[in-house]
Amino acid sequence: MYTLNKCLVHSCKNLALSTFDEDGNITDKQNYCLDHIPDPGKVKEQIYNYIKTHDVIVGLNTAGITFADIDLTDKRFYGCNFQHCTFTNLHSNGLRSRMSMFDFAVFSDCTLLNCNMQFTSFGGCTFSHTLFTGSDMVQNNFNGMQSFQSSFDDSDLYNSRFIRARLVNTSFRNCNIKKTMFLDCRQENVSFKMSNTREAVFDRGGSALFQGVDQTGGAVF
Amino acid sequence: MKIYFHLNLSGFSNCYVIANEVIKEAVIIDPGQITEEIIDKIESDSYKLTGVFITHNHGSHVHGLKTLRKIYTPKIYAADWEVAGNDTNVITGDGKVRIAGLTVRYMALPGHTADSMVYKIGNVIFTGDTLSAGKIGTTNSKYSEFILRNNIERKIFSQQDATVIMPGHGPPSCVGVEKLFNLDIAHVSEKEAVPVIPLSDK
Repeated sequence: MYTLNKCLVHSCKNLALSTFDEDGNITDKQNYCLDHIPDPGKVKEQIYNYIKTHDVIVGLNTAGITFADIDLTDKRFYGCNFQHCTFTNLHSNGLRSRMSMFDFAVFSDCTLLNCNMQFTSFGGCTFSHTLFTGSDMVQNNFNGMQSFQSSFDDSDLYNSRFIRARLVNTSFRNCNIKKTMFLDCRQENVSFKMSNTREAVFDRGGSALFQGVDQTGGAVF
Repeated sequence: MKIYFHLNLSGFSNCYVIANEVIKEAVIIDPGQITEEIIDKIESDSYKLTGVFITHNHGSHVHGLKTLRKIYTPKIYAADWEVAGNDTNVITGDGKVRIAGLTVRYMALPGHTADSMVYKIGNVIFTGDTLSAGKIGTTNSKYSEFILRNNIERKIFSQQDATVIMPGHGPPSCVGVEKLFNLDIAHVSEKEAVPVIPLSDK
């Protein structure tokens, strides 16, 4: 992962978008964020082109950009930043990602089948009608995520975290959820059929009944 | 700057190799276990290992140091002298070290252990066991927990929201996410953090 440069506008706290040289390769030059860049359309086009023409993408920063109708099949992302991005109608099979940040991104109508994403953060993301079926999602951060009509079926979610997540009509069928944390989750119509729920963590220190104390601190007999 | 992540299967801790590609030097944070993969990474890219930073003196974060010192002669930075005896560059309080062409800022963050240190390189914070995704580190008393929580709020949550958190265990996160969703330090109410969308709107 490369250093994430801040926007050139002093008072701005946002991260700068990636810059490209004449050959279309990523450079380390400082740049503006999406809010302050003079020609956002041009940068967006450069980013789209870069993704289209490269299979291995390292250190790309696209914070805040909207991606629509894009095919990411067999693309590999290493140390990329997609914070606050919006992905609509994204399609991929075999996408690979390591150490990338998707925090506060929105995924709508996306199909990410058989992807391999490890040590990646999806904190505060929103997933709507998004499929991660048959994926390897080991040691990922899904804290605070909201998912609606989405599926993680047949996936490996080992050591991932879903702390304070909101799961609505979401399925985790036939998943490996060993050491996966679902603490303080809100669930509506969530299915864990065929998954190893005994190995997952749904409750911080075991239920109050097993601890022998109730919520108010008194003993339970 | 390039960061390589390595999962130590023995203690499920995270080890990071931070390389400066321009001057071909690298530092390691928390060498819990030194494997062939890590050595290969350093050797294949011809990096000179100039420094090792220890977040705290627990086995899963320092065990690999013995192996590392047999091969390389890096400067070792830790808050506990016992990490490498007289070879330890003991760091206390807050400050910065210039090494491998990088500026490594360090902050003392006791609570999980008395010698807990947090390192910041560029826009990335290596928190060790003080803070991981959604949780703060374990402590052995209510007072330690209070101290740890206080320090996290003062030193980590004061960073930019986009600052990346690379913890000693578990997945990465960022300051913005932790401020909103950390179980132990809830900055905002649940209502604000997870806006409720009525089911009829779907």
